[in-house]
Amino acid sequence: MSFKYPVVMPKMSMTMETGELIGYHVKAGDIVKSGDVLFEVMTDKIDMEVEAPADGVIESLVAEPGAVVDIGKPVLIMLTETQIMAFDFSGDGASIEAEPEVAAVIEQPISEPMAVVYTHVKAVPKARVEALKRGIDLQIIIPTGPDQTIMMADINSAYLDPAVSKRQMANKSLIAKGIQMTREIPQSSFSRSVSTNFDQARLISVWASVLRSRPDIAIHPHVGVATIIESKYGSALPVYKDPDLLTHAQLSALVASTNSAATNGKVPLEMLTGATTTIFDLTTYSMSAATPLLFPNQITSITIGYESATTKNISLTIDLRHCDFYDGAQLLDALVASL
Amino acid sequence: MLTMAEAIREAMSIAFDERSEVFLLGEDVGIYGGAFGVSGDMYHRYGAERVLDTPIAELGIVGAAVGAALAGMRPIVEIQFSDFTAQAMDQIANQAAKIHFMLGGALHVPMVLRTPQGSGTGAAAQHSQNLEPWFASVPGLKVVVPSNPADAKGLLLSAIDDPNPVIFLEHKLLYKIPGRDPVPEGSERIPLGVAKVVREGKELTIVATGIMVNKSWEVCEKLAAEGISITLIDPRTISPLDMQPVYESVEKTGRLLVVQEGPSHAGFINEVIAQMAGSPTFGSLIAPIKRLAGMNIPIPYAPQLEKAAVPQIEDIEIAAREIVKNWR
Repeated sequence: MSFKYPVVMPKMSMTMETGELIGYHVKAGDIVKSGDVLFEVMTDKIDMEVEAPADGVIESLVAEPGAVVDIGKPVLIMLTETQIMAFDFSGDGASIEAEPEVAAVIEQPISEPMAVVYTHVKAVPKARVEALKRGIDLQIIIPTGPDQTIMMADINSAYLDPAVSKRQMANKSLIAKGIQMTREIPQSSFSRSVSTNFDQARLISVWASVLRSRPDIAIHPHVGVATIIESKYGSALPVYKDPDLLTHAQLSALVASTNSAATNGKVPLEMLTGATTTIFDLTTYSMSAATPLLFPNQITSITIGYESATTKNISLTIDLRHCDFYDGAQLLDALVASL
Repeated sequence: MLTMAEAIREAMSIAFDERSEVFLLGEDVGIYGGAFGVSGDMYHRYGAERVLDTPIAELGIVGAAVGAALAGMRPIVEIQFSDFTAQAMDQIANQAAKIHFMLGGALHVPMVLRTPQGSGTGAAAQHSQNLEPWFASVPGLKVVVPSNPADAKGLLLSAIDDPNPVIFLEHKLLYKIPGRDPVPEGSERIPLGVAKVVREGKELTIVATGIMVNKSWEVCEKLAAEGISITLIDPRTISPLDMQPVYESVEKTGRLLVVQEGPSHAGFINEVIAQMAGSPTFGSLIAPIKRLAGMNIPIPYAPQLEKAAVPQIEDIEIAAREIVKNWR
């Protein structure tokens, strides 16, 4: 049985509302693999190739080349063999138009999350100039100057090994900025004890499928699960896109190779963006709890804490603007049940 | 070593000797030798035709000088206290400063207005003001504030040469003081609009005008003994203002302290801060810019209060020390 999957006009910048379809790289009936280029789009800011989200067959081309397509509207329809997709359109074509639009309109671009930062950092002008030059984020510098102002001495003491610290700083700053941006968002956390055994791949996959089963609260048409890995350059956050569409063996292999690469500071470029949720596994540190995280443009995050040799604590943080308490409880219930 | 009063007298004498169209007019500049003794014996050397005692009527004095300047003379006006220029402000700001511009450059007013200013003499609110910003904010006037005899001589000679009106503000407390550097003999000019780097240091840049240059010097000396080296810059001409040495210095020190005697509100020295804040050198600052200026009150008569109303050496020392210590 095949499932219809609409590949839509992606939102590639904060201001983007429409994109022009430059042309197709495929025609109806073509067999495509995940990652094959399907079509090219152009906006006022960027040109981009849109890739197949999964293996499948091109069922039909919806938009004419040269047409201006609203974001979230389908450009072509794929048939996939995979059972669980964001939207199952095996019914009539009418619903294709409506559903992805709702889903995509709220989606914010991952590439432009910096707009609201640098609010309350006080620093002498030279510190700002130097921080910019050295790739240091002032948000993470501890000010020791008068009136909590960052001085040059603070910059200099924060800047140790040029080779490593620059990337460490950049990584820390990315995370700090993300958390800073979501601090004002109304949010809540739930937690449950579980005694089930599960590996990282299973957790990633199960959580993705739980989220996919709730298109009513999704703000993205896909599911991207970010995980936090420590590397010598600081925390890395590789993103697994639609991991529930992979077999457990496939995902396990991908997780293993990604973790190993990330530990050495090498996350594949395509795994750096597209996160819709984040899993923070504290058990590797034998820690039971941490401050709940919520990254920009993500409405959920999962923290796994160590409780005992046989039990773990799973906590879920939700953005209350998109999920209410009941949704949160249901999501966590579903996750624990599926594990 | 000449005092500043003597150096100014020498500059005027040189100009008198060089050009027959130069003359001096003002209250008590003749037989009495000037309220602060600046013109001294000039009346006896050059006679009543070139050293004119006038009635107590500042508007008339300056008006006469503007008229004479338009007719080809080069008058030097002395107003006994700068506070009294208020009486003559129409001639200064509306006539002298603008004639060259309003007549398409056809005429100009080569007049120098010399006047003593500042506090510290117990002369109370109407005889103690520092009015630098009054003149510096009038386009068409050049404004010179000498801090020592050598500069006073060279700058005054340039001011007399200048084809347009120049306000020359002399601090009363400096008249009797010899400078650190001897006054050069001869008629060498110091160009208007060129600041002077009085001394160079690494930790802090101080920009000060008039008598505050001298007070700041004392602080530089004291802190140098403790290993804090300071660059001291004297703009000398506050209009036009030469900021280049200030930028160059702050690029090295990263810290700026500005000092003036006049009230802080809308004071001249604020211009230095404003230009710095808008310049590419802003990014070199490692400390907030610190301003020391007079209080926003009329200068009090009581000596202790008079002293407290304007920056003193101790104030400058504390400020300089704090900037260097607190901002690393």
